[in-house]
Amino acid sequence: MTSLLSTLRVIAEIAFRNLFASRWKTLIVGGIIGFGAFLVVVGSSLVNGVDRSMRRSITGSIAGHIQVYSNTSKDELEIMGSMGGGTPDIDPLYEFERVRSTLQALPNVAQVVPMGVNAALVSSGNTVDQTLSNLRSTVNALSEGDRTPETAKKYAAQKAHVQQMVKILRREMDNAKQVSAQSATDDVEVVERAASDEFWAGFESNRFEHLELLENRIAPLASDADLLQLRYVGTDPQAFARAFDRLEVVDGEMIPPGKRGFLFSKYVYEEQVKLKTARGLDKLKNAIDERSKKIAEDPDLQRIVRENTTGVRELLLQLDAIRTDLFRSKLQAFLRSDEADLSKLLATFLTTNDANIHERYAFFYRELAPHLELYRVRIGDNLMVKTFTQSGYVQSANLKVYGTYTFKGLERSPQAGLVNMMDLVSFRELYGFMTAERAQEIATIRASSGAKEVSRENAEAELFGERPGEEDAAVGGGAAPAETDPLAELRGKRARQQVLGGASFDPAELEQGVVISAAVLVKDERKIAETIRAIEDAGKRQGLPLKAITWQKAAGIIGQFATLMRAVLLSTVLIIFVVALVVINNALVMATLERVREIGTLRAVGAQRRFILAMLVLESVVIGLASGAVGALVGTVLLLVLGKVGIPAANEQMSFFFSGPRLFPSVTPAEIAFSLATVLIVSMISSIYPAWLAMRVSPREAMQSED
Amino acid sequence: MTSIVSIREATKDYHLGKVIVKALRGVNLEVEEGEFLSIAGPSGSGKTTLLNLIGCVDTPTAGTVQVAGRDIGQLSERQLTDLRLHTIGFIFQSFNLVNVLDVFRNVELPLLLQRVPSAAARKQRVVELLTRVGLADYIKHRPSELSGGQRQRVAIARALVTRPRLVLADEPTANLDSVTGENILDLMRELNQTEQTTFIFSTHDARVMAHASKIVRIADGRVAEIAETGNGLGDARPSAQPGAAHNGGH
Repeated sequence: MTSLLSTLRVIAEIAFRNLFASRWKTLIVGGIIGFGAFLVVVGSSLVNGVDRSMRRSITGSIAGHIQVYSNTSKDELEIMGSMGGGTPDIDPLYEFERVRSTLQALPNVAQVVPMGVNAALVSSGNTVDQTLSNLRSTVNALSEGDRTPETAKKYAAQKAHVQQMVKILRREMDNAKQVSAQSATDDVEVVERAASDEFWAGFESNRFEHLELLENRIAPLASDADLLQLRYVGTDPQAFARAFDRLEVVDGEMIPPGKRGFLFSKYVYEEQVKLKTARGLDKLKNAIDERSKKIAEDPDLQRIVRENTTGVRELLLQLDAIRTDLFRSKLQAFLRSDEADLSKLLATFLTTNDANIHERYAFFYRELAPHLELYRVRIGDNLMVKTFTQSGYVQSANLKVYGTYTFKGLERSPQAGLVNMMDLVSFRELYGFMTAERAQEIATIRASSGAKEVSRENAEAELFGERPGEEDAAVGGGAAPAETDPLAELRGKRARQQVLGGASFDPAELEQGVVISAAVLVKDERKIAETIRAIEDAGKRQGLPLKAITWQKAAGIIGQFATLMRAVLLSTVLIIFVVALVVINNALVMATLERVREIGTLRAVGAQRRFILAMLVLESVVIGLASGAVGALVGTVLLLVLGKVGIPAANEQMSFFFSGPRLFPSVTPAEIAFSLATVLIVSMISSIYPAWLAMRVSPREAMQSED
Repeated sequence: MTSIVSIREATKDYHLGKVIVKALRGVNLEVEEGEFLSIAGPSGSGKTTLLNLIGCVDTPTAGTVQVAGRDIGQLSERQLTDLRLHTIGFIFQSFNLVNVLDVFRNVELPLLLQRVPSAAARKQRVVELLTRVGLADYIKHRPSELSGGQRQRVAIARALVTRPRLVLADEPTANLDSVTGENILDLMRELNQTEQTTFIFSTHDARVMAHASKIVRIADGRVAEIAETGNGLGDARPSAQPGAAHNGGH
């Protein structure tokens, strides 16, 4: 035994000394292997980290672990939005109650959340419209005999505000005329007229006529982007909040049980509903404070500054005469300027740079914001949500905005933040599903109109033929029913109900109706694949058309991101190791050829072939392990530091992949062992050919020195 | 006297592409234990091929070569290696030391290959041999730190450390100046006398041949002549002291 150890020792000694003797070769080969090991450790840890974070982001925000939908659907479910942006064609699941009980009977299913995702156009009304409608209601009050001083004061202020708006529009038209003579002369005339003193002198004599002109001709000219394209998930808000515990209500409150309502995603609320100027300032401040960006260096930030300076109209339109004066004096004092034109003052104020952004941000929110409507839709307002049903008709619902919500850690992430929330009952209506309430209506209609049997097609036509809102007049106008027609009565009732907005429904309705899909949260994340099989089997047993997919699939392209990263990493590592293999193999072959004499001598003196083999393999294994260990160690240290400090998300999109503003990678013994095993295998493989060459060296090589 | 090497009608053909080179064309040779034999001949005479057969690093195409009583044509690669390890010591023209190992390790190497279990026993033997060749003070030196003659003495110590019955030396003095060469020859001759080890060395240098007890001349792949010199087996030259080897000799 001791002699075997001694033999091994001498092999090791020869091997080590050879490595030392040919330092450069050792360093180059070792460097490559070390880099490979470093890359494997760091890369796999980062990919695993992103994988875990994304899993948290996706499973914790909307997808859950498993999405269950109808297996008769034409398209695949993509809960986080598809690449094309279109809505996939998914058949609904008709009996959610049965689906839920079937799913919850499975051992690994923890929670089931009904849902459906859809997109809608939402009108928030422009500022001119709003001011005019305020004026109209005051005018109504006056014409009804209201003589209180408050009303008179309000009337004066609102009238002055509208006058102010018309002036702004007129100035804009003048500017536009200078740029191009193309502006419709018709529009110019109307604005000129509305801005004239005669018009306002005549306003008192015929308020309604003048208002109409303003509403019909002037307001459309001032259209700012007042249609919002919103994605929303219709769900049971309470079940949703229970299942996705990172959900936080930021403003207002959760949609209460049994209430129709709308909850904005905080991200959408900030990004699309907030006053653009304020949003721009927020973005600038965040980028500078949290990502250490500089306006002077970043074209994106420069673009925001430009947009802010050129987009002051949105601010101006909000200001009546009194507030215009107030803003002017505040800005004149702040900017130490005697400029009288508020639009110029505002543009100057909003020309922010790295030096003054913080001061101006603070001034804006302290001095100006309290006098502005910061959000086009306020919490507590009603929101008119318009959508196309599956059969192509426009459907609308008026929903109370209860508040805003976000997912903790994903506040900045567009991917997690694009989906707003709505109660499932309203969702079904907007999607074109039959609700119990509406089924009742149909039954009433059928009974009173005497219809006995209605085919499915007819029922649908009838169902969608009667729609609430302004489309009724246009579409239904041709077949205007008689006064006694129950449809007309219903229409009236519906209209009233929609004005109420936050109308209630029977919570049981949530359970009984249809859903697009159901999110399933499991107890044990490692058993997702088995649970998916169990769900589909249970569906077959119960006669439900259930198809279950993992969160990765449900998240569509986003879910593939980690897989994609892993593939990129793997191919990089593979390339590095192929290169390493070639380089190491080459170096060892060279070394073997240089050492033919020595190997021959060893063979002549009595060393068996396996001694030579052991010697060479040991050499490459020693290089492999030593440099692999160094590489892995450097990688591990780096990861430990990064695990403490965190890798900042470079932009808002990244925060979704990082599941927060920073990724804190961790390194597991398995990753280190994996990298060492990889380099060991690579170095052993690369020594096969040179070792084979060395074994074939004849002992005669020692003798034939000069021949 | 018993033969340590017994060669009967040995031939060796080499295939160089399609040409067959007949390196040996039927050699007969008996080497008795204790001889100090020189194999002489010009380049291409088959001298090296004959040495390869005796050294068990090659096998004959036809005929038999017996070394220490074993027919090497019948042995496997492993058995040949074992035979070399236990029976034969090698001394090479270019010394062929392992450059990365020090003098001690170089000499110890064959003992390790033999799996001599005791480190103390190995050390004793290595030091004894290095003392015999006059390099006791150079134990920790690397081959690169030694002169040519010193390196060859390390090689001699390595060849003899396993107490082989036969030492084979391939042109042992060709890379040395004549004085050093003489010393090396004296040392080998002395060891031949004291250890009763058979030495076979090849050379084309007449002065080196003069040391041999018997000269075998090879020409055209055959034994051309076997000449007994005056240096009979019992008639050893005056033995040189190990220390004397340092200073050059005659």
